[in-house]
Amino acid sequence: MGNLLNLLVEPLRYPFMVRGLLASLMVGTLCAVVGTYVVLRGMAFFGDALAHAILPGVAVAYLLAVNLFWGALVMGLITAVGIGYLSRRSQVKEDTAIGVIFAASFALGVALLSTVRSYSVDLTHILFGNVLGVSNTDLLLTAGLGLVVLAAVFLLYKELLVVSFDPIMAATLRLPLDALNYLLLVLIALTVVVSLQAVGVALMVAMLVTPAATAYLLTRRLWQMMIIGAAIGAASAVAGLYLSFYVNVASGAAVVLVATGFFVLAFLFAPARGVVWSWRRGRA
Amino acid sequence: MAPILKVDSLTVNYDGTPALEGVSFSVEAGERVAVVGPNGSGKSTLFKAMVGLLRPVAGSVQSNGAKIGYVSQRSEVDWRFPVTVHDVVMMGRIAQIGWLRWQRPSDREVVRRCLDQVGMTAFAGRQIGELSGGQQQRVFIARALAQNASILLMDEPFSGVDVPSQEAILEILDGLRQQNVTVLVSTHDLNLAVERFDRLALLNHRLIAYGPARGTITPATLAAAYGGQALWRGEDYALVMGDIGCCGEAESHHG
Repeated sequence: MGNLLNLLVEPLRYPFMVRGLLASLMVGTLCAVVGTYVVLRGMAFFGDALAHAILPGVAVAYLLAVNLFWGALVMGLITAVGIGYLSRRSQVKEDTAIGVIFAASFALGVALLSTVRSYSVDLTHILFGNVLGVSNTDLLLTAGLGLVVLAAVFLLYKELLVVSFDPIMAATLRLPLDALNYLLLVLIALTVVVSLQAVGVALMVAMLVTPAATAYLLTRRLWQMMIIGAAIGAASAVAGLYLSFYVNVASGAAVVLVATGFFVLAFLFAPARGVVWSWRRGRA
Repeated sequence: MAPILKVDSLTVNYDGTPALEGVSFSVEAGERVAVVGPNGSGKSTLFKAMVGLLRPVAGSVQSNGAKIGYVSQRSEVDWRFPVTVHDVVMMGRIAQIGWLRWQRPSDREVVRRCLDQVGMTAFAGRQIGELSGGQQQRVFIARALAQNASILLMDEPFSGVDVPSQEAILEILDGLRQQNVTVLVSTHDLNLAVERFDRLALLNHRLIAYGPARGTITPATLAAAYGGQALWRGEDYALVMGDIGCCGEAESHHG
């Protein structure tokens, strides 16, 4: 018992681990709540593209030696609104439009970063996250913007629910469909931006989708999906970070692998929806 | 008595081509109207224009302040969405609750009453996709009632539901008549339209005929609406050919 406690407390002696754990907790929670809409509205590819398309903003901020966060924020908002606009107006299909933009934007980011000498180390941090390098300023920015996003999700709960479930009904109620859809894109963009340092570009979509998808298998109401998703996201983040501390693997990868573990468990054993359950029902 | 609903020379384009041309009719409070016509005759377009989903090129729809509730075709929502029957009916209260506010006990009371009216109280906690097609229709009727709608537009409520469910929906509509709720239903089933509704609107881009359910369908009006696709079978019955296997039937439901 004492040993177990020691195992849990030991990493907390390092301030960078405490900051990393706090950042992971916040990011895990936020990504799962916003990810609920990503999963329900089939926006996984949009989330992935958004995370990649932010790279040029990060690169420019890096070259100008300002906090990478601001570069990501500007680029994230531009991309979210741009993709939203293109997918409504474009002659090509939505996923094609997203594919073209995100690959081009990502390439531009890599090109910009490759002009710097320490290119490979920095690119690795941006791609896969560096949660142990989180500063106090980063923590405050994450907490502040995270609260704004959660407040929007909370205050517009019933409107975002009906727009997602039944847009036709929402239109007959004269709800501002376009504004609400753009708002959702912006909320996803903000979530991606504040999570960038902890999770990195490449694994972002997993944090958006995996905990929310796990919760989807376990519930039948939207708010329950958000709460259970948040709990799974937070638990994955903390467990993943401890795993990375003791087994010495990359933190972002460890977090995603733990979250995937939860998903597999739910996929197999979820009451009524799990594979094992259906198999037993099929035999009975 | 003044009509509760007045549609006046309504003209609607759909994808650039005219879908409805100069449609005019009026409905008294509490009447039940069946809108019939071949595929693509503009039945859905008519309803969508009436609730403001499509903007008419010309003409108007007046309801004297009465709220119009719309029950869309079954295929138009995601049935696997994590919402319960209670949640779906509560969506009807959004306008009354208002922005940045939460449901009040009075809203929950309205939802309970509306669920009771359609006989779905026992299913309040079920996920919407776990219900049969007919039960889903009843839930969406309850949602329209929760909007305080006194005019109900239902697009193809009988397609893809079995006969007992169809009967259950018709019984609910009978009950609504007692509360003076006006109902417009689009359907393919001419016989059902003649037997169970007060008035009949025969549509094919234009309003071919409009009048009491019995007597509006004649060999002439039938030929005008369906061309060679319908057979005249005497005073009350008509058989529509080549038009049966269409939209929304055999819609699978998930869950």
